[in-house]
Amino acid sequence: MATTATPEIKPGKIEEIEEKPKSNLEPGFLVICWNDPVNYMQYVTHVFQTVFGWPKQKAQFHMLQVHEKGKSVLTRESMERAEHYVHQLQKYSLHATMERDE
Amino acid sequence: VKLQRLKNGRFVFHLSQRDKLLLLEVLKLYPRICSAKQPLSKGAKLDDHEANQRLLEEAVAEQRAANKKQLGALITDPRRFADTASGCRLTLSATDLEWLLQVLNDVRIGSWVHLGSPEERIEKLTLENAPHLWAMEMAGYFESHLLEALDT
Repeated sequence: MATTATPEIKPGKIEEIEEKPKSNLEPGFLVICWNDPVNYMQYVTHVFQTVFGWPKQKAQFHMLQVHEKGKSVLTRESMERAEHYVHQLQKYSLHATMERDE
Repeated sequence: VKLQRLKNGRFVFHLSQRDKLLLLEVLKLYPRICSAKQPLSKGAKLDDHEANQRLLEEAVAEQRAANKKQLGALITDPRRFADTASGCRLTLSATDLEWLLQVLNDVRIGSWVHLGSPEERIEKLTLENAPHLWAMEMAGYFESHLLEALDT
């Protein structure tokens, strides 16, 4: 019968992890696009390509995620960049918001 | 609406007389979405959320004012919106096409909001919903042609 080795336990130090407040400059903000029944799929794909500079395949992947799952996280950015992308997407009348990544 | 050619990065469309009139009617409706309808965040857990929301609304309103101005310039520019014997010729740069898409989609989405943002297709036409449904479908019709042209 095979036996399992008992792990050797050594005294150690308990590390205390201090929770730091998240800065607005850190990429801690998610840009989310939400589904609606009115925007054309082809239009949404085009907007993703234009706003993010994505290739068509990636844009289509996120468009389908929005369509099938109700939303898609498009990118994770600093607060300022996330605001910029939300503005760009809203210019095209897409339902986009930014949320703090918690 | 028919894409005639793509020349020097410019899209040249031919519109019949009827298409021209319909397009002008649709464009008159712009802007159709209220900028306050677009929240920056659902969670509202952002710092300075209200101030940022206000800034976003101002930016969207500024953008719409600029689009409206560009729209006026487009339809009065004979080089870009020229009458022909059978209708008109619409010549758009890639940039023009991009903001015209935004304008048309604004009319489409705004009309859908006026219809009460229905999840399903509207089956019954009434005197109240017909103009919004017309605007939504017509804006979509022109939008589809522009998107098709981008794919060529």
